[in-house]
Amino acid sequence: MNATTLFERLAAYLPVLLQGAVTTLSVAIAAIALGFAWGAVLLGLSLRRGGRGVLPAAVRTYLSFFRGTPLLVQLLMLFYLPSAYGLDLPPLLVAIVALGLNSAAFQCEILRAGLVAVPAGQIEAAASFGMPPARIFRHVQLPQLARAVWPAVVSEGVDVVKSSAIVSVISVADLARGGRQIVAANFRPLEVYVSVGLCYLLMTGAVLWLGHWLRGRMERP
Amino acid sequence: MNAPVTVPIVSLRGVGKSFGPQRVLSDIDLDIRKGEVVSLIGPSGSGKTTLLRCMNFLEAYDEGEVRIRGALLGYRRSAAGALVRESERVVAEVRAPVAMVFQQFNLWPHMTVLANVMAPLTLAKGLRADQARAVAGEALARVGMSAKADARPPQLSGGQQQRVGIARALAVGPEVMLLDEPTSALDPELVDEVLEVIKSLSRGGMTMIMVTHEMSFAAEVSDRIVFMEKGRIVTIGTPREVIHAPAHPRIQAFLQPWIRRSLGHPAAGALA
Amino acid sequence: MIDTALLGQLLPAFGAAALRTVLLTLTGLAGGLVVGFAFHALRETGWRAARWLYTAYTAVWRGVPFLIHLFIVYFGLPSAGLSLDPFAAAGLTLAVYGGAYFAEIFRACWQSIPRGQIEAARCMGLSSRQIFATIECPQALRASLPLIASQTILLMKESALASVITYPELTMTAGKVVSEQFVYVEPYLLLALSYWGLSLLVNRAAGTLRAWAALRETPRP
Repeated sequence: MNATTLFERLAAYLPVLLQGAVTTLSVAIAAIALGFAWGAVLLGLSLRRGGRGVLPAAVRTYLSFFRGTPLLVQLLMLFYLPSAYGLDLPPLLVAIVALGLNSAAFQCEILRAGLVAVPAGQIEAAASFGMPPARIFRHVQLPQLARAVWPAVVSEGVDVVKSSAIVSVISVADLARGGRQIVAANFRPLEVYVSVGLCYLLMTGAVLWLGHWLRGRMERP
Repeated sequence: MNAPVTVPIVSLRGVGKSFGPQRVLSDIDLDIRKGEVVSLIGPSGSGKTTLLRCMNFLEAYDEGEVRIRGALLGYRRSAAGALVRESERVVAEVRAPVAMVFQQFNLWPHMTVLANVMAPLTLAKGLRADQARAVAGEALARVGMSAKADARPPQLSGGQQQRVGIARALAVGPEVMLLDEPTSALDPELVDEVLEVIKSLSRGGMTMIMVTHEMSFAAEVSDRIVFMEKGRIVTIGTPREVIHAPAHPRIQAFLQPWIRRSLGHPAAGALA
Repeated sequence: MIDTALLGQLLPAFGAAALRTVLLTLTGLAGGLVVGFAFHALRETGWRAARWLYTAYTAVWRGVPFLIHLFIVYFGLPSAGLSLDPFAAAGLTLAVYGGAYFAEIFRACWQSIPRGQIEAARCMGLSSRQIFATIECPQALRASLPLIASQTILLMKESALASVITYPELTMTAGKVVSEQFVYVEPYLLLALSYWGLSLLVNRAAGTLRAWAALRETPRP
């Protein structure tokens, strides 16, 4: 194996890394979707009774915890604590749930910022013309909200893809784990991990490009 | 004014400018003599602010020449006669006699009023702190802002901030002051205090070129009025010729709203 | 449910580990600020090469997961001749990683200064260097404090990954207790609370710093 060229080795890594990348993207997409849905629910709960009471306080605690502690810690807790009580959860599921619960905290804040981005006066005007709240939301708030939060949403998407590398520590077969497996076999950490890094760079770059393209579609009438 | 014929302080020949495909200035010829007050008026989009900003090279003109005291501003002539951009340092030297007052004041909010006026003196003109403080103090007194020397811009009203802006321009001892709509950003009741300062400067013999929408003020204080439209000079004349009894139909159309509004005003008698 | 006696026993170890987490974070903060400011100042010179270098640095370092950066430095560099112990590797990686974010923070704060102030300074004959030092820096740096504070918390959360390369900070210490003593709840509880507490501390400190900076702005009437 010593006579292989760099090019030959890189070509050999490709299938493993590609498979890992697919897993990474799948996990990331699932986590972002989960994070969005749960984040929206959290936002709804936190707005109950004008922000006072048990539920909004619970949401605030949730947000503080998930934003104030490392994702790695959340992942480890979610993986090992159930197993301490005899519940063995599949790593892939734990990975998606942990990433999703974490992302929800950030997406909740993003959505909240989006809500206040629409000036109250516009909503008042719409209401004074007799528009029902649902229609006001659909035609006045939603379009502007989407435009206002888009950069933050794309940024969160990039973050989830990057954060997903952490799930390799609980043996999910993602891109980072693929890299570790190759290194364990051929002891060439520098070129393998740089290749892995380049793969992530391509993926995050693709997310940014997609975000940019979608924004262009949004601006069109 | 029986001044002997001398080189005009600011001289424009054939000045033109485009922003991409959009032509904003064409064929501007203008001479400003020492001690003159010249107002640039015209509808929005006429290029008057761009023209003013070309006079201190905040905007780079594309054609023609702008000369400050005879020196070519922003460029030098190559051997073939073409315009070549000059370095920042040379540009700063040529435009040193010109000081600007901005529509948005552009004071530096983290410095006191006194520090704002002193900064160009200590940092650009190399004055010692005590010298700069003396000069700055005089300039602030001239505009009536001495009492606020230790305040910071956010604590002042718009009119007060603009007066500080004028003091800052005065302190460097300019030969020409450019005023870019000095009162347009002010609440109506604050406009007069600034106009008073500008009036007193003109009486003191300061050469001023002013872009303004205050027609009565322009008529009162200016030696000449330049009316611009669509990037060209339509006419240059005395206030009487341009504002009080405009012959040009386009100027008449431009001044209509102002005349209509002023006719209800007690001072409209001056419109004879 | 929770063995409070055990909690008491674990406190010293966790206290020492927390100090190491803090040390690592501060190293990343200090190093990152220096690197980030250097790249930003380089970009402000306007030289085309400098801008290109800045864009390459911020794009590449922010587009690859911190875990991969860590692997490249700790596992990869030795084969290129540079062997670092876990603390040095984690600190260096954190600094260069954080620097990319700090550089962008500085760039955003510089852009937030109204152009008119720069124009006025230029008209009055101030050189680019003078404008940078006396007009831009005082205002932009003050504006950057809240962003630097939140970035510090992000760095602290990333520091948890140093556990993967065996630096005995909080996460690794908790992991050790779990695997050696077969207890789950107490170590993870302490772990989460430690990070949570630290992030609340950073927020409190940032608030105080911001208040102090604002106080210096407004003079006594």
